Amino acid sequence: MVNCWKLIHNEMMKIYKQKSTWIMYLSLLLLIVGSGILTFAFSDVETEYSDASWRIELEEENNRLFEEMEEFEFFQEINMSLIAENNYYLEHDIKPVGYGAWHFVWENEILLSIVSLFTIIIAAGIIANEFRWGTIKLLLIRPIFRTTILISKFSAVLLFALLTTIFVIVFSWFTGAVLFGVEGLNPYIVIEKQDGLEYVSLVGETMTTFALKLIHFLMMATFAFMISSIFRNSALAIGTAVFLMMAGNSIVAYFSDKEWAKYILFANTDLSQYRNPYGPVVEGMTLPFSVVILLVHFVLFMLVAWFAFTRRDISGTY
Amino acid sequence: MGLPAVKLQGLSKTIKGKPIVNNLNLEIRPGEVFGLLGPNGAGKTTTIRMIVGLIRMTEGDVFIQGKSIKNEFKEAIREVGAIVESPEMYPFMTGKENLIHFARMIPDIDEDRIHRVMTLVGLEHAMDEKVGKYSLGMRQRLGIAQALLHRPSILILDEPTNGLDPAGIREIRHYIRNLANEEEVAVIISSHLLGEIELMCDRIGVINKGELIAIQEIRGSGKDSGPQEIKMEVKPVKKAIKLLKQQHGVESELTEGLVSFELKKELIPEVIQTLVKNGISIYEVRVTQSTLEDQFFDLIGENVVG
Ligand SMILES: Nc1ncnc2c1ncn2[C@@H]1O[C@H](COP(=O)(O)OP(=O)(O)O)[C@@H](O)[C@H]1O
Ligand SMILES: [Mg+2]
Repeated sequence: MVNCWKLIHNEMMKIYKQKSTWIMYLSLLLLIVGSGILTFAFSDVETEYSDASWRIELEEENNRLFEEMEEFEFFQEINMSLIAENNYYLEHDIKPVGYGAWHFVWENEILLSIVSLFTIIIAAGIIANEFRWGTIKLLLIRPIFRTTILISKFSAVLLFALLTTIFVIVFSWFTGAVLFGVEGLNPYIVIEKQDGLEYVSLVGETMTTFALKLIHFLMMATFAFMISSIFRNSALAIGTAVFLMMAGNSIVAYFSDKEWAKYILFANTDLSQYRNPYGPVVEGMTLPFSVVILLVHFVLFMLVAWFAFTRRDISGTY
Repeated sequence: MGLPAVKLQGLSKTIKGKPIVNNLNLEIRPGEVFGLLGPNGAGKTTTIRMIVGLIRMTEGDVFIQGKSIKNEFKEAIREVGAIVESPEMYPFMTGKENLIHFARMIPDIDEDRIHRVMTLVGLEHAMDEKVGKYSLGMRQRLGIAQALLHRPSILILDEPTNGLDPAGIREIRHYIRNLANEEEVAVIISSHLLGEIELMCDRIGVINKGELIAIQEIRGSGKDSGPQEIKMEVKPVKKAIKLLKQQHGVESELTEGLVSFELKKELIPEVIQTLVKNGISIYEVRVTQSTLEDQFFDLIGENVVG
C-alpha cells in the first residue's frame, strides 16, 4: 500500500520545485521587510513606555491624536478608538506594552490577502497543470485510486496555505524583533471587541485572527480547486476565484436587505465578524449558522471537484 | 498456452455517437512484442488509453494478467508500465527527481532501482539535469525508464519512435527485444510507420478506423509463421521454375526477370539447397513480407485519398 503521505510529499515537491513558488516567497519576504522598515522609519511607534511616566506619555499621545483628528477628518474613527484604548489603560492603571515583534506580526495580518492569492494560484494549478504538462497520464496509471490522488492534492494545498502563513508569522516576528525589539513572551493589550474594550493576550489574538483569515481564504482556494478540476484550466480558476473573493463583499452588501442574503457564502466566510465591534454582516446571523453554511459549501465544492476528477475520461482533447 | 498477458475483449469506444474503436479482440502473450500499426487517427492512442484505464470503454473489457482494468484497476495496472502519446514529464525537475516522484507512487522501489533504469536507458549522466533541457530523444528514454521502474510484466509504448533519429530507433528496438527475450515482458508498441517497428515485433496488428483489419506474424517462432513473398534472380530461369514445382510443390512465376513465389520462411534454406544442387546460379534472394506491407500501404493510400 502506498501511503497518502508519500503522495502529499510528491505534491509538495512539485509545488516547491517550481520557480514561481519561490517568487511568491520572495515577494512576501520583501513586503515584510519593506513594511517593517517603513514603520520603523516613518511611524512614531512607542517601543517602550517608561515605568515612571507612562501615564504622561499616554496623555501626550491622546493630545496628539486629538489634534490630528481636528486637522484631518479622515482619522476621526481610528483615532477615537485609539484614544479610547489609551483611556482604558489609564482608568485601569495598566502600563501598556510598547510596539514590538508581536505587534508587527499582528499588523501583518493584512499580508494574508497576498497569501490567499498565492494559495488560490496553487489550488488552481494543482490539477490543471498536470493536464497542461501532460503528466496527468503518468499520474493516473499507477495503482492508486483517483480519489486518493485528489485527496493528496487538496491536502497539499492546505499544507501550502499553512506553511506560508507560518512563514509570514515567523518571518514577521524576526523582522519585528530586529527592528522594534520583543514585547515579552505573552504581552497583553487592550482591544475593542464586540462588548467594548477588553484586555487580552496579543499572541492569542493574533493566532485567532490568523486562523479565522485562513478559513476565509481556504474556502476560496477550495473553490479554485473545484474550478480547476472541472475545466482543467488554471487561469480560469484563478480568475473566477479572485474575482469572487474581491466581489464577495459587494455582492453581500448589495443584497444585505434581503432575507436570504445570509445564505450567501461570502456573508459567512469572514468569521471575525463575530468578534469585532461591528457585528455580523446580516442581522441575526450566528457563529454556528456561519459554520454550517461554510461546511455545506465546502462539501459541495469537494464533491463537484471529486466527481469531475474521478468520473471523466483523460483524453487528448479536453 | 497459459494466461495471455493482455486480453482485449470486444473493446469499443464511442465518442459523441462516433465509433472511435470498434470491437477489438486480441490476446498478447507473455514475452511477445506486439505492434499496433495504423495511420494517424486510426484509434491506436484511444485503444491504449482504454487499456491503461485513462478513458472508459463504451463496451468490452481489458484483462491484464487476467485482471479486469474495469473492476480490478489497482491490481491490473500494477502490471503495466506505459507511455501514452508524448512522454511528458515535469520540466522543472531533474530526470532523477521525476523518477523519484513516480517511485513514490508504487510500493517497494528503492534508490538503487532508479539508478538501474536510468543506466539501462543511458541517462545516467543526465540524471541531475532538468527535464526541460532534455532533447526529445532523452525524454523518450526517460519515458521508458519511468515505465520500467516498477518491473511491469506489460510494457505499453505509444509511438515511442516519434521524433527519434534512426540511431535512437535502433536503441529502442534493442531495449525492447532485450526486455521481451530476457524478462518475459509483453510489449505493445504502436506506430504509424511499419518500417520503424517491423524489426522489433513478433506480431503486428493493423488497425484502421478503429477496427483491427489484419494480424501478421513477423518473426514466427518456427511453424506458425505465415508465407512470405520470395523473389529470386536465378539462371537458368525455366529450370528453376520446374525444380520448384517438382521438388517443393511451389507455384512460381516470372515477373520483371525475377522468379517470385510464396513460401514459409523456414523452408527457404531447403529450397536454396535444391536449386544449388541442381546447378542453378543464384544471384539474389529477396524476402518481403508482402501481405502486411501491401495491406498497410493500401490502407495508407486509401487514407490519403479519402
Ligand atoms: N476525446 C475525443 N473526442 C472526439 N474525438 C476523438 C477524441 N479522442 C480521439 N478522437 C478521434 O478518434 C480518432 C482516433 O484517435 P487516436 O486514437 O488518437 O488515433 P491514433 O492514435 O491512431 O492516431 C481520431 O479521429 C480522433 O480525432
Ligand atoms: Mg496516437
